[in-house]
Amino acid sequence: MIIANYVAAFVLIALGFYTIVAKKNLIKIVIGMGIVDYGVNLLIVSIGFNPGGTAPIFSLSELTPESFFVDPIPQALTLTSIVIGACVTAMALSLVMKMKYSYGTLNTDKIRRLHG
Amino acid sequence: MIQHFPILAIMVLFFGAFFNLLLGKKSRLIRMLIVLASTGTALGLMLALVKPIMIDGGIVAYWMGDWAPIADFAYGIGLEVDALSLFFGLIITTAVFVSGLYSFEYMSHDDSLVNFYTLYLMLAGGVLGLVLSGDLFNVFVMIEIMTFSAVALTAFRNDTFGSLEAAFKYLVVGSIGSSCVLIGTILLYAQLHTLNMAQIAALLPSNLTPVTIIAFAFLFIGFATKAFLFPFHPLAADAHAVAPSSISVLISGVLTKTGVYGIIRLVYFLYQNIGEQSVQYLLILVGSISMFVCVTMALAQHNFKRLLAFHSISQIGYVITAVGLATSLGVSAGLYHAMNHTLFKGLLFLCAGAVLHQTGSVDLDDLGGLARRMPKTTILFLIGAFSISGLPPFNGFVSKWMIYQAAYERAWMGGGSLIYIFVTVVALLTSVLTLASFIKVAQSVFFGQLPEKYKDVEEVPFSMRAPMWLLALLCILTGIFPDQVYQYLIGPATSAVFSVAGYVSAMFGSGYFEISISAEYLIGYWNPLCWLILLFVVLAAVTLVSLMGKKSRGKVREEASEKSDPKYEPFYGGEASEFSQVGGSDLFWGFKHNLKPYLTFMHNAHSGVVNDYALWGVVALALAILFAILWL
Repeated sequence: MIIANYVAAFVLIALGFYTIVAKKNLIKIVIGMGIVDYGVNLLIVSIGFNPGGTAPIFSLSELTPESFFVDPIPQALTLTSIVIGACVTAMALSLVMKMKYSYGTLNTDKIRRLHG
Repeated sequence: MIQHFPILAIMVLFFGAFFNLLLGKKSRLIRMLIVLASTGTALGLMLALVKPIMIDGGIVAYWMGDWAPIADFAYGIGLEVDALSLFFGLIITTAVFVSGLYSFEYMSHDDSLVNFYTLYLMLAGGVLGLVLSGDLFNVFVMIEIMTFSAVALTAFRNDTFGSLEAAFKYLVVGSIGSSCVLIGTILLYAQLHTLNMAQIAALLPSNLTPVTIIAFAFLFIGFATKAFLFPFHPLAADAHAVAPSSISVLISGVLTKTGVYGIIRLVYFLYQNIGEQSVQYLLILVGSISMFVCVTMALAQHNFKRLLAFHSISQIGYVITAVGLATSLGVSAGLYHAMNHTLFKGLLFLCAGAVLHQTGSVDLDDLGGLARRMPKTTILFLIGAFSISGLPPFNGFVSKWMIYQAAYERAWMGGGSLIYIFVTVVALLTSVLTLASFIKVAQSVFFGQLPEKYKDVEEVPFSMRAPMWLLALLCILTGIFPDQVYQYLIGPATSAVFSVAGYVSAMFGSGYFEISISAEYLIGYWNPLCWLILLFVVLAAVTLVSLMGKKSRGKVREEASEKSDPKYEPFYGGEASEFSQVGGSDLFWGFKHNLKPYLTFMHNAHSGVVNDYALWGVVALALAILFAILWL
């Protein structure tokens, strides 16, 4: 089960990279960046998961070597990563919007004033 | 008391951003006060740390919220400042302070300046937080803060030519790099269950599994993106060229340094496998390619700032190559050059900004003869150009000399090979090409004929010249007193690079990590006599070559070119430059003519399409993973 998660995560990351590289539409590139983010988030959550573990709510005195729980740190990391991913998307979309106004197109082949 | 300084330095910048947004709308004076107070305080706090860290050799460790390790396991977020972090912190706060001073006048014609200074302070806080942090995930967060602010600032003048597309390319390819850092961090966490860099450094040598080795590839590519190394250099060229000049200083002088810092931390601390020949070859290969490709790209540029941007990456190539030599001298040379790069490149970008501010143009074909109208800027530019080209007694000479010496010595050391001789030659060649292209810039911007439309251009005001003089003075001082600079800055930072044990035990108490570090190699110094001999040798070679070419001189080589780009065709007469077939900036058109196949190929390769640049990044990632699997 957890192997499936890892595979899915890396497949998502690879698909996202493929979208960024192959698609010529700016919006689709932004979607590709989103897919990479989802893949990474899935990877992070899967890493912290222990099958059969309880929720990680303990005080230090309750902790024993026998306590078996899901690792809480990756979940905190995922939250941060999701927030950052949302910011990336928002910022990229606002740039795309501005570019549509000034270039009149979303095709990456036509948006290349800076080259060489 | 002293252990609170790093967190205060970071906080004061972020608080500055906050208060600037809150109060800065009122007046220019309030904005200036907030920016000066926060950047000045950060700089002061960094300077206050010099004595305990650089001179007394201490390391400041700080656990946020006092979450100290429990049973030798890090739970909280730690800040750890050793001499290496402090060295980069000093570079960063100096550049930020100077760039802030310059911005007040330079940006005075723009609107929504509140947003500008907020982003500027967030950029500064993110970068400083990155180098002072001791937690790998925290590093990722700071990278993202820094990338966002840099992207927004690149697009700040969004009505100028190409600024939006440069920002978008930077965001897309930069986020590939950020994702790589995150994936690498997570893979390390999966194996070691810690995010603290000191603890990772202690645990990794006994835990080198395939997963951690692949994590190395991800982290390396992530930090290489932040340093704009080959093949990520087109981003830098685009972003530097369109950003406001005071921001170009930060992107070129400060953001690239975070990548260099990350790579040093990665190969010397986290993995400690720099001793392995393959990692050294990787760094040297990437560094040499960046250095050479970018300097040749710079030769073909007609935009002042874009040319500077390519040179910037070329110099970062020097730094990475020197760091990859893995000797004490090599690392010192790399750090020295990293510092010098911030100083002279900052100065050059500020000069380009001054030209842009007064004339409204950075097109090399368009400008000319500004030395008559802006003599003070010209002097400052020449100081910067001499420094970057490595002419004595400016600082570029010292560090480049150390790099040549380090690369050359490495060839004769244990495990050395002739590859290092080749690297030395590439470094020398790059330096020559750098000098050539700065002669071109000087000739086409500051000397030559003054175009009619610029005959009333005035010198920039003193408020813009003062920060430039500050950088110019630092360029000269670090060039004249290399011994003192070495003693107080470079030496401690270099020994910090080689003392992983000290880094770990400052966080976890001594005894947690015991490893004996082999004795350092003796540091070599440049010898002025050697330089004189080299000068004579080069002069003799130049004389010989020019005498040999005498017969064919005056004969213009005729060549039917299928691509009829008029720039490459023979030069017929002395018409005014707008009718001539050779642009005003084509001082080395003959040289470029001979390199035409290569330059045309490179020109077409840098297509400006974001997909291509992303493809280069993904290919680089794939190659890095392949490298890690095969050779680590």
